[in-house]
Amino acid sequence: MSVADVSLRRAGEVPVERAPRFPRKPKGISGRSIAIIVFLTICAAFFCVPLYIIITTSFKTMEQVREGAIFSLPAPFTLDAWWSAWDTACSGIRCDGLKVGFWNSMAILFPSLILSIALSSVTGYALALWNVRWANTFLFVLFICAFVPFQIIMIPLIILSSGLKVYGTIWGIAIVHAVLAMPFLTLVFRNYYKGIPQEIMSAAMMDSGSFWRVFVEIILPMSGNILIVVLILQITSIWNDFLLGLTFGGLGTQPMSVVLANVVITTTGEAAYNENMAAALLTAIPPLFIYFVLGKFFVQGITAGAIKG
Amino acid sequence: MALRWSRVSPQLALTPALAITLVAFIGAIAWTIFMSFTRSRRFPEYFFDPAEWSRQYERLFKDDGWAIALKNLLVLGVGSFLAIVFGFILAAMIDREKRGEGFFRTIFLYPLAVSLIVTGVAWRWMFNPSFGLQNALHSIGLTWVNFDWLSRADTAMYGIILATVWQGAGFYMALMLSGLKSINSEIWNAARLDGVSFWRLYIEIIIPMMKFTFLTCAILMSLGVVKAYDIVVAMTNGGPGQATWVPAYFTINAYWVKSNLGYASAAAVIMLAITGLIFLPLVLLTAWRERAREARAT
Repeated sequence: MSVADVSLRRAGEVPVERAPRFPRKPKGISGRSIAIIVFLTICAAFFCVPLYIIITTSFKTMEQVREGAIFSLPAPFTLDAWWSAWDTACSGIRCDGLKVGFWNSMAILFPSLILSIALSSVTGYALALWNVRWANTFLFVLFICAFVPFQIIMIPLIILSSGLKVYGTIWGIAIVHAVLAMPFLTLVFRNYYKGIPQEIMSAAMMDSGSFWRVFVEIILPMSGNILIVVLILQITSIWNDFLLGLTFGGLGTQPMSVVLANVVITTTGEAAYNENMAAALLTAIPPLFIYFVLGKFFVQGITAGAIKG
Repeated sequence: MALRWSRVSPQLALTPALAITLVAFIGAIAWTIFMSFTRSRRFPEYFFDPAEWSRQYERLFKDDGWAIALKNLLVLGVGSFLAIVFGFILAAMIDREKRGEGFFRTIFLYPLAVSLIVTGVAWRWMFNPSFGLQNALHSIGLTWVNFDWLSRADTAMYGIILATVWQGAGFYMALMLSGLKSINSEIWNAARLDGVSFWRLYIEIIIPMMKFTFLTCAILMSLGVVKAYDIVVAMTNGGPGQATWVPAYFTINAYWVKSNLGYASAAAVIMLAITGLIFLPLVLLTAWRERAREARAT
């Protein structure tokens, strides 16, 4: 349960109206406020500096990068680095740029989203609203599984997926994503569905009583909010994943983050820093776009995920 | 008929999840633990020799790389604690001064949306000794500043910590902010009326009230530190030498580079054990909170 729930409950216990609020000074801004805002602004600058530097570097020419003035604005403004990062950047022996990785990441994203959300929402629904005798034991096991380090299951999963002939394919990566996300997402869905009033479930049971019909007709229409939160959580975590893509991706099926790491790490000779920064930005744009457009749900996702469970 | 359906369908719906848990988690963990007791090298060997069950572990703890990895894990853990402290300070400031809350929150949290590889690549570039921040600082006359941390073995971990704090502080800020928001508004007013000083209010009242939030943050942070891999690869790739190896890196390296399955399994088992040690307080914490809530409800 989230901390916010506790506070709601606490507020509910006290039926008296709030203590009278002492109004702030109506006008003017106190010295302390100014100090706080200055401090926060300095911190904000610390958070923004890396973004500023990668953006400006990515638009510079290599000649300007070599001058060493990292804070300077791009003098001849050029998109060359972006084009070469997308199209011709070399990772190892291949020089196809990040576009291969981009399309691979896209191809991984959609099946694993559908698989993981379908699997964990149904599991969470069954565990929350139906009387399954071993539900609590199972939930506890899932809770533990959600925190297990990937390395402990990596090798058997590799052997297993080679046995199933999906190792190194897009589908293999997508399935492993769905498998690894299952315990955590199930807990998130289960906690959400647990909050559905028992009366609604009883009425639904009287009406049809079928497991799947209740899910499709009553529960799914009620879970719009949690679906968006989970969707955003999953899109960003699948897109940003590196370890799974690295260990399960074959040559030519690696996701964007792995291609980016290869481009940056395996450079021979002088690194093309402007190209590296453009490549990093290309990889960061999709999740950043989601963050700035749907930030509220993003924050809900990470905090709900962290505190509940 | 309806009754029978209601019993069979949920269990049927749970089978995929159950199968995944049994095979991909429990079975896989058991398999890896078993492998760590065998002599497996490139391929799994299922022969178990009771006389030398511990040979992988003995080798592991004689390995300098593993010792470095464990030490770095500790360094990273202590360093990442700064992210929690920093996050709390940011949250307290934001909560105190409501102006610009949305703006500052958005800025402090955006690094979290970005892949750790991107973060690592960005910081790697800023730490570049010839064209990076060091050069910029030297050119304005601050020649005594060294910012080439990643290229020196004794400071490379601090570079990784700086990037980790940059990435993670916003996350703790968000958790702390929701904790601070849930504190009853009467406390602030009461403190103001009583004339409690700013520092005493935070140290003696607010922080003790938020002990759950702090513990949650600390545990999540520790679990994250054990998993730290991406950031190391992107920033230093383990270097210089083995200076920034961490257990996660060591394990992957043992399997993919040394292609030694048994050895990698042993390292993974130790990782699991460390996770377990961190995880135990989390289980207790959850139980404790549950009990606290029930006590309050009755």
